[in-house]
Amino acid sequence: MLIAILAFSFAIFGISGVRVVLGIVFITIPFYFILNNFQLSDSEKFVFSLLFGITIFPSLVYLLGFLISFKLSILIVFLIMITVGIFAKRIRHT
Amino acid sequence: MKLNKNYIQTFIFILVYLFAIYFWSQPYQERKLPYGEHDAVSHFEVGDYMAYNDKSFQKLPPYIDIRYGHDNKFKPHTLWYPPTFHSALGVIEVIGGERIVSIFLLNTVMATFIIISIYFVINSLFGFFPAILSSLFIIFSPRDFMPYLWGQWPERFAYAFIPIILYCFYKYFISFSKDESKPIYFYLTALFLGINLLIHPLVFFHSIVGLIVLYAALSLKQKKFVFSFKHTTIGAVIFLILFLMFPYQTFNIFPQISPQSYIGNEQRKTPDLSRLFHWSLDPDIYAGSVPAWYFSFKDMNGLWTLPFLLFGIFFLVLRREDKDLFMLAWLISLYIILHRDIFGKAAFLHRSLSATAHIFAPLTAIGAVYLGSFVKMPLKYNRYLKYAMVLVFAYFVFSINFVGASKMLNKNTYNPYTNDGFLSSLNNEEYQAGQWVLENVPDAFNITLLGIPYTSNFLELTAKKIRWMAAVSQHVYRFYYLLDGRDEYLKHNYVLLDYTLLGALNDKETLNEMQSFEKNKLANHTLVYDKNNIRVYKPELKKQ
Repeated sequence: MLIAILAFSFAIFGISGVRVVLGIVFITIPFYFILNNFQLSDSEKFVFSLLFGITIFPSLVYLLGFLISFKLSILIVFLIMITVGIFAKRIRHT
Repeated sequence: MKLNKNYIQTFIFILVYLFAIYFWSQPYQERKLPYGEHDAVSHFEVGDYMAYNDKSFQKLPPYIDIRYGHDNKFKPHTLWYPPTFHSALGVIEVIGGERIVSIFLLNTVMATFIIISIYFVINSLFGFFPAILSSLFIIFSPRDFMPYLWGQWPERFAYAFIPIILYCFYKYFISFSKDESKPIYFYLTALFLGINLLIHPLVFFHSIVGLIVLYAALSLKQKKFVFSFKHTTIGAVIFLILFLMFPYQTFNIFPQISPQSYIGNEQRKTPDLSRLFHWSLDPDIYAGSVPAWYFSFKDMNGLWTLPFLLFGIFFLVLRREDKDLFMLAWLISLYIILHRDIFGKAAFLHRSLSATAHIFAPLTAIGAVYLGSFVKMPLKYNRYLKYAMVLVFAYFVFSINFVGASKMLNKNTYNPYTNDGFLSSLNNEEYQAGQWVLENVPDAFNITLLGIPYTSNFLELTAKKIRWMAAVSQHVYRFYYLLDGRDEYLKHNYVLLDYTLLGALNDKETLNEMQSFEKNKLANHTLVYDKNNIRVYKPELKKQ
């Protein structure tokens, strides 16, 4: 499915379109990991993580962007959110 | 087998959604140039500034402040919207690696997210056919894509949260009443409600009314009072954290709704009770800002939808299952929102009209798909009838709604090389010049501009072009002939002469004037950019 979406994006928007799609996946994935710890259906996890990715992720980047570079904030927030997802999973299992 | 069915249904939805992205992105697919009304400029500016300058900001830079410096009544000269929406544009511009496609494509994804929300909610409650037909219908809903084109970007995205918020609360309520409480859905309701406020306050109030009506409807049906102190407290804390995340912006709601504000003054208008018998609004009130056809059911939905819509409502009222009440509560909440002027809340009423397709589409699709349930016949034939109705629905959508929508939204929409965008959108030559100014002109200088028509008969359109120039180059632009003290201004600022429009306008008089201006007025300036019929001059004196 993702390959089909990437192919579509490349055909219509060029390499920028591909990067946008990968960007959306990038900011969404940490929330999918977090939501994976709850009893939600696959479609719920997919839609909710997309919404959180497009809203919560950039909000945190914005806040961190006052202290460090905006670009670096994107990476830091990604690492923090992934860590939260992993910890949430471990806490749930223990 | 079931997995395969789900997989195929998901694949069909993805195809439909990709078509939505294709259809809505037509204005920038080939040209890759920015376009849209004044609101679009502002949203582009805020997201782009973060990404291009690699920093977050609170205080508005001059080229944004000149128009929006006082839109935040709580903290003037700072961002007037919570930065959630715009920082998403900024993040994707960084990842996308360029300015136009990244921002405009993410905006298209966000504006069409309502299609994902509707598909997800309706598929969860009513199954695949009503869901996919609703999604298909909304692609061609002018009340969705026109505000998107006009530039009401955050509002479009915010509407995608209403069905999600109602769905989460519905799941919480249903699970609660079955004594197997799932508080996660209540916390998700609070989270999405908080995010909804950060995206657009107007839509947040719509969500609140929706929740109240849904709660009342389910409580009456189940004759149960659902309340948990623990869940409510945790939900309230989640919401408060989000509310306080950007206080300068969220606190701006209070002065906005105070009696002294524009919105407050709007509230004092005498209510017109006859409106209770109409869904839509009086187009005459909005003449000049919103076209009359925007208020017409026929033009926005097609008259073919009316029997299905009425049947859908009739079917749900008759059946009254919990999920049916979900839809009816959503419909009633929209009715209340669209008639809030009766309660003295008239501001931005027409904006709420853009939410109609989100509930009308699924009700119409439910009406079509369940029509067969009223005809007594063997199950096999009933199924055939359902498939036939699905095809009929799709046929009408493509033959009527798609055709109508294609006239409004196509590759020529806002095209600077056709009449549609000649005066309002940037052409490629202007965009390149703007990009050059961004990279070469120090922040301390402003740009004064000649060559773009500035007289009152043109200004409504060309004001957009000059604002796009400012957005692309991140500098303040002023029409030379509209300046006070223009000779003094000229000495300290850059001058941009745009010859790209004059040929098409056949304006020889302005051409001669501009050439003479270059010769006589710019003797002490240095030509620093001369490309594609655009020239930029640098002042000799540095700004004091």
